[in-house]
Amino acid sequence: MKRLVVTLILATVMSGLCSVAACAEQMTQAERRKLFQTGAKLWPVYCAQCHNARPGSEFAPYQWDQIIMHMRGLSNMPAEDARAIVEYLKGGRE
Amino acid sequence: MRGKRNVWRAILVAAIFLAAPLRCLAAESSGHESLSEIRNEIHQLEADRARDLQLMERLEKRVDQLESENAQLKAANAQIKSDATEATQQVKTLQAQVESGPNPKAMASAVSSYLGTHSFTVTGSAGVGFIYDQQSSGYTGFPNQTQNDFFLDWEPMVLYRPNDWMMFEGVMSAAFGQSGTGVDLSTALFYLFPFDKLTLAGGLFDQPFGDWYEDQSPMWVNRFVTAPLPYGVEPVVPPAEMGLQARGGLQWGDLGQDFDYTIWGGQGPSYSENVLGAVSTSPTAAANKQTNGKSMGARFRVYPFPLDANLGRLELGASTYNGKWLSGNWLTSWGLDFAYLNGNLQARGEFLRSYRQMPNGLPQDNREGWYVQAGYFLSDLKLPGAPDQVNQYLSRLEPLIRYSGVNQHFVAIDDVKGATGIGLGGVQVGFIPDFGLNGSPALFAPHSREVALGLDYWIAPSIVWQNEFDIELPHAGGTFVKADGTTVGVGATPNDHAFLSQFTIGF
Repeated sequence: MKRLVVTLILATVMSGLCSVAACAEQMTQAERRKLFQTGAKLWPVYCAQCHNARPGSEFAPYQWDQIIMHMRGLSNMPAEDARAIVEYLKGGRE
Repeated sequence: MRGKRNVWRAILVAAIFLAAPLRCLAAESSGHESLSEIRNEIHQLEADRARDLQLMERLEKRVDQLESENAQLKAANAQIKSDATEATQQVKTLQAQVESGPNPKAMASAVSSYLGTHSFTVTGSAGVGFIYDQQSSGYTGFPNQTQNDFFLDWEPMVLYRPNDWMMFEGVMSAAFGQSGTGVDLSTALFYLFPFDKLTLAGGLFDQPFGDWYEDQSPMWVNRFVTAPLPYGVEPVVPPAEMGLQARGGLQWGDLGQDFDYTIWGGQGPSYSENVLGAVSTSPTAAANKQTNGKSMGARFRVYPFPLDANLGRLELGASTYNGKWLSGNWLTSWGLDFAYLNGNLQARGEFLRSYRQMPNGLPQDNREGWYVQAGYFLSDLKLPGAPDQVNQYLSRLEPLIRYSGVNQHFVAIDDVKGATGIGLGGVQVGFIPDFGLNGSPALFAPHSREVALGLDYWIAPSIVWQNEFDIELPHAGGTFVKADGTTVGVGATPNDHAFLSQFTIGF
């Protein structure tokens, strides 16, 4: 019974991991545009809650991927909002 | 007469008739020669004509050939023109591309694929500053102290991200001051992001109690040079913990209306000595300390205003942290906090309280602390009549004010040891800037109050020159408890002023 429960928990966690990874891959252009627009609204408010909002040009896109994970870990912001902000920060460089 | 004339006429006619055949005979002989010549000429002409015809044929062929070659040349010329036009267009396109610079998206993709999927980033902060503090008199049993020191602090943070659901982060602190140097490990934490609403973290972390230790402690994030009293020299709860966290956030209403939670368990509340003592302000010491018990903590925050309501961003939070710090002796604590942001205005405040059971029948170590602070960016300020450059300088200023206080009903000697910082003669120099320096001599004062006035000059969003003037308000000192358990009356605490200036960069 204990083994079954552990297996079920592991299976649930692993399926969750896969869905998170797949989600990032499968975004369409329209979804990205919508995320960008939401991120543009959230960025000056959510970031400035603790510190000055920093522009997207300060870091490379791959670095924003890491920094937003760090900030998500600290601020507990909803994952969807974190995705929108990083889309804005990366897209705002162009 | 008439007859004569007729005779002559007849003779003339006869002569004419006679002469005509003669003439014909002569003509006949010369005609033969002419005919031959004519034939020759005709032959000659025919030969000439044949040659001419051949020549004409050759010429016609040559003309045809030349026409063909001409047509080919025309076609080749047209092709060359077309190629030249195309090449010119390509050159123009390339020129435009060169002038407009590289495509960031393509560049990003190329760099990402070059760097690989495992990526490192070093961020963090660094600061250099100066502190001047002159106590008006000494405490009972202690001489008055003076600070006149420069200090430097460098806190690199390494982020390592192998994929989109896993990350490691570590922060080192290296501080250098007149009274010593120190290096410390502030945080070392593994993150897992299994679900959108759940993040798991394990390792050495800043205490998620309140907003200060976790969110406000980096030098460039803290608007002041120092920490407020309950999180600085006289901490109410331990600043670090070693253990596991589960945390996450969700949107419960419109965009901006969020709720988030943090639940953690760890080694237990750690103090600088395993006897009477203060909160350990070194995270490393927290990790190494045996406390005979584990701890549990929880923190919840709610954001009531929707973003589109334009009411600003309000955060309301509550925290609790409890555990056995020594044998069966408990530390229990709770706190309430708020933060508000609206345009150029930012304000925050916290109230926290802790109860620590003491061994050997000693009175309970109860502490409570609070702070409230506000700042306002002068970015919209335009002085009429002032030069543009002056207005530009003024627009980068942020005046600040903070009032903080601590009520402490029990003070142990290692409160002093554990809370010393740069310039105060302490040994644990490195960790103090994690949550702010403080020039406050109210270090020994169990009932301290401090007013801090600040003026920040923002060069960039993460580069700031900070200036702070601290005013300590005198209150009764209360009781001082030494490590051996004996108590000493502190008496009245002196008032003094301190000035701090710091240039700091968040990178």
